[in-house]
Order: sequence, then C-alpha cells, then structure tokens
Amino acid sequence: MQQSSSGSIPLRQFGRHPVKISALGFGGHHVGDAPDEKTAIQIVQEAVDGGITFFDNCWEYRRGKTELWMGAGLKGRRDKVFLMTKTCPHGRDASLALQMLEESLHRLQTDHLDLWQVHGMCFDNDPELFIRPNGAAEALTKAKKDGKVRFVGFTGHQNFNVHLAMLNTGFPFDSVQMPLNVFDSNFRSFEQHVLPELNKRGIAALGMKPFGGHGDAIRAGVLTAQESLRYAMSLPVSTTITGMDSIDILHQNLRIAQNFTPMQAEEMTALRDRCKASAADGRYELYKLSLKFDNPESRIAHGFPVDTQQSEVRDMLGSELNTGHPFPEKHF
Amino acid sequence: MPKQQPQAEQVPSGLVPKRQLGHTGVQVSALGIGGYHLGSVGTDRAALEIVAKALDHGIDFFDNCWEYHDGLSEERLGKALQGKRDHAFLMTKVCSHGRDKSVAMRMLEESLRRLQTDHLDLWQIHEVVYDNDPDLIFAPNGAAEALTAAKQQGKVRFIGFTGHKDPSIHLRMLEHKFPFDTVQMPLNCFDASFRSFETQVLPEVTRRGMAALGMKSLGGSGEMVRHGTITAHEGLRYAMSLPVATTISGIDTMEVLDQNLQVAVNFQPLSAAEMQGLRDRSRYFASDGRFELFKMTTKYDGKVGRQQHHFPTEQELPL
Repeated sequence: MQQSSSGSIPLRQFGRHPVKISALGFGGHHVGDAPDEKTAIQIVQEAVDGGITFFDNCWEYRRGKTELWMGAGLKGRRDKVFLMTKTCPHGRDASLALQMLEESLHRLQTDHLDLWQVHGMCFDNDPELFIRPNGAAEALTKAKKDGKVRFVGFTGHQNFNVHLAMLNTGFPFDSVQMPLNVFDSNFRSFEQHVLPELNKRGIAALGMKPFGGHGDAIRAGVLTAQESLRYAMSLPVSTTITGMDSIDILHQNLRIAQNFTPMQAEEMTALRDRCKASAADGRYELYKLSLKFDNPESRIAHGFPVDTQQSEVRDMLGSELNTGHPFPEKHF
Repeated sequence: MPKQQPQAEQVPSGLVPKRQLGHTGVQVSALGIGGYHLGSVGTDRAALEIVAKALDHGIDFFDNCWEYHDGLSEERLGKALQGKRDHAFLMTKVCSHGRDKSVAMRMLEESLRRLQTDHLDLWQIHEVVYDNDPDLIFAPNGAAEALTAAKQQGKVRFIGFTGHKDPSIHLRMLEHKFPFDTVQMPLNCFDASFRSFETQVLPEVTRRGMAALGMKSLGGSGEMVRHGTITAHEGLRYAMSLPVATTISGIDTMEVLDQNLQVAVNFQPLSAAEMQGLRDRSRYFASDGRFELFKMTTKYDGKVGRQQHHFPTEQELPL
C-alpha cells in the first residue's frame, strides 16, 4: 500500500483512484454515544485537526443523530475530509435508497458525498436483492451519474461468503468495508478470503472493528489496544475505521496512528498465533454469529424478529422520527 | 413443535413403520420422540402419557440429552420406560462441549442413572455447533475417546453426533473418519435452500453407511407452520421422505402427537415432484434463514456449550 505523510497521520491511496485518505478513519456510530452534541462536535473537529480525513457514517445510525452531529462538526471543514455515509435499503428498492441519500446529505449539511456505500450486507440473499432490477445497485449508479457521490461501495460484518457473492455480481465497486482484526484472521476470515480479492481488483479495502467490535479481548488481557490497532492498520487496506466516543479515545487512537509503523510479517504471525485458541469459536467476533449485532432496519426489511433490548431498537421505538414503519416518512 | 389446532381426524389404525439404522442391522421407527419437549410438558404424568401412546403406535426411537431441562427430560423418560425399556431404542447425548473424556464419562453415568437403565442404544455428542468443536472433540483425551471407551465397555451400542449450525462443521467431523453409527441434523424443506444439510451432509452420511437422523422438521419451533408457508403435515412428510433412519420431533401435547401420528402411521413418502413443489414454495422465505434461526444465531445454542466456549448467556445475547 502506498503511504505518504501529510499532516500527522499517514495517507494512503483509495483503491485504484488517485485520491488519498487517512490510514485511520473516524467511525460514525460511536459519535452518537458522546454525551451531547457539543462534545460530539468537539471530537469531530479535533479529529480533523489531528489529521483524520476519512469520516464514516450511516443513514440508520441512531435514527440520524450521528449524521446530524457529524454534519455540525464538519461545518467549515467539509473540504478537508473524505466523507462517507451508507444507505440502508436492505434489499428494498432503488427509490428508497435514493430517498435515504437525500436525507443523509441534508443531515450532513453537504451537497455531495465522497463515498456512498450500501450498508450491512449480511443475509445470504442480500447480493441477489442488491443486483436485481430496481435494486440498490441502480441507486448507486444513478447517484454517481448525478454527481451526488464520487465513489460507491458496500459494507457487511457477518459472512465473508456474502462479500464474495457481492463481488461476483460484477458491479463496479470502488470500495468494500469489512471487519479486519487479528481474531478475524483465524475465524471465518475476511482477511483470508476477501482482502486478497479486493487488492487484486484495485478496490479500496476499508477495515473496521480493529478491536473486535467491543474490545472484549482487550479487557480479557489477550492483547493490547495498541497491538490490535497496529495489526489492523498493517494489513493492505486504505483505512481502518474505528469508533471514538470521547476525547480520550480520540487522543489514544491519534497517538497510535500518528506514530504508526507497520508490523513486520513475523510480528503479525506471532500475534495471530497468540490469539488463535481464543479466536477459533468466534467468542470475540460475535458480530459474525449473532443477530444482536445486525441492524434493526435490516431485520425488519428481511422479516426477522427484532431484539427489543438492543439499543438501536430502543432508539427506534423512542424516536420522534418513528412512524411505526422501518423508513421514516419524512421528506426534504 | 408448537401447539397446533386440534385436528378433527383420528389417528389411523396401524403402526409407524420401521427403517434400517444405517449399517447397524438394527431397525428403528421412522418417527422419533424428541426428548427436549418431554421436559417442557406441564406434568410428569402428561409426559408419561405421551410416551405410552407413542409406544402403542409403534414408535420406539426416543431422543434425549444430558443437559435438557437440567436432567428433567431424562428423568421423565426413565420413568416412562420403566418395565418397557426393551421396547425402546434409547438415545441420549453427552455435553462435554470440548472438555475431557472424563467429563463425558461422568455424564454418561448420570444419564444412565436418570434413565434407569444400564445401557444406551445410542450415545451422541451433543450440539457440535462451534467452529472449533471438531478439533476439541478429536483432541487427545477428548470426547471421541469417550465414545470408543463406552462402546467397548458395553454401556452404549452405537455412537454418533448432533448439531444444528453449519454443514461445514458436520463435514469436518466426518473428515476425521471416526466410525460414527449415526449423524443427527436439521432436515426440512426450508433447509434445502439455505446452508443445506440435505444437499451437503445427507449424501455424505448415506454414502458412508451411517444412519442420518433428521430433526427440526418445522424449523425448531414450528415457525414455518405459523407463517403459513407449509402445513405441519407437509413439513413432517417432507422430512420423513428423505433418506433418513428417523425424524425426531418434539411433542409437548397429545394433539401434536396425534397430528404427527396421522402422518407417520402407515407412512407414505411424497413423490419426487411433490418434494420439489415444497422446496419451490419455501425457497423465497428460506433464502435469508429467518425460518432457521438455529443456523444463523445463538438462539438455539444451549447454556452449557455457551459457558464452555465463553459466549454470553441467553439473557445477554438473546439472538
């Protein structure tokens, strides 16, 4: 991966395109966990000033709150960043995906996205629903043609076979997002099965969940936060996206990223071996195994039961935007 | 299996037919009584009545498991088979979940005591559902050695394994070339279109002369029937029409037993075209797995296995 230094965090090439993004990406979900909008704005502003240019978000995170707060934080800084958000039709029509795009642009206070991805490909029939006539694939093509988004991609955290099936639809993706961490390398592995395919095709690989989603393995003492993040950033990816819900976490991640030196191959192998036994049944990657980590929007679209204890479902039930339907009937 | 509307039809006279249990030379009834639901029934007495009526109609295959309802399922079946042990083909399962042979052997003694018998007809390793289970089972001093020892000691006649999660895990178990007599798996008309045991595992088991035991003929809790895609009769007939030795069905009321007996007594298999019709009808609903949550999520994974694999409890991780 080509790497050059600008500001304080290394920049890397975005797949086959002559565009550079920061090797550490700012995850959108956790900004919604900040105590209030003022703190969220401060975190976003300090992240930009600290050298992060890649910003992740999603139409369905916290019923729009994370896009609203990030939009407020990026006011006056929009041109310094590479802004991504995701659309959540989850198998439904292109028109729905495009409505979601308008909402996202409005909340993010911008007229275009640098990257627009289809969110949460996880069910076996998602690729088929994506590529069907009038499916989300047509929305990606149209948004790009209309100049509302520069690049398009997809994300998912559950099953690498679904990612491979998405690639096999033949759609010209610019980026693909997936969980990449040392546990993944030993369990139903995106690193082994998907990453080489992306590198071969010149598609930008975007890593996420460098700490295994919730940091359980770090709390259990299997490895340190620094080892986790360094491992993920040492893979051949364009960026590693991670959530930062406090100034402290932001500073911790900025420090690791600003002083980043890639791990040597032997170091990576040693870390994989150390984590192998506790990786083998997926205990630190429950997002590959349990619906609890799936998006309620997706479960509803697929006719799955929702877990009413999940925080996003509670948000959904308590939201002013809630209309009793998966998609708020609110138009701009 | 869920409660069904009581059916007006009566159970026909006749018996549930017998089938060969793989290469063992033994025959078992084509419908088996699932042990889990015997522990869900309201009273001991109701559970005993279900077992007695099943025996009267020619059912002799009885499933159970060391961890079902903390032993209640085995205790009830033990009571129900008092004086009738020789009429039953009795199976239970061991729940060492990756631990040593000695744990498995202790569980065997507990199961025999609860079931009030000195031997099992079939002893299976329960819930092979985590990706590293095959490695743990075949590790030195693992559960595979317990199966061999128990067979040598005459405490069990036949041995096998079960699991509901992923065909690839079953196939990895088979790759060890261990002499399993039986393999239990989910088999239903939805499975045929989604991460399919029917297409990936069943032919392998059959080719090796092992007996295939089907389960979850209606999705584990009758989800497919409640949704209205298929009727209970269609679902059970489909499962029983596959090349399996028996189809194990959980029964928690007399109505459900009668409903199953209506299909199983004098059983007539579906034609190939009828089976294809059911697969076609189910495919759209099957393709994202929502009716087979046992393959997708932790919902059907038991607490002992979760503990051994350091997974959150059912309360912490409901799906």
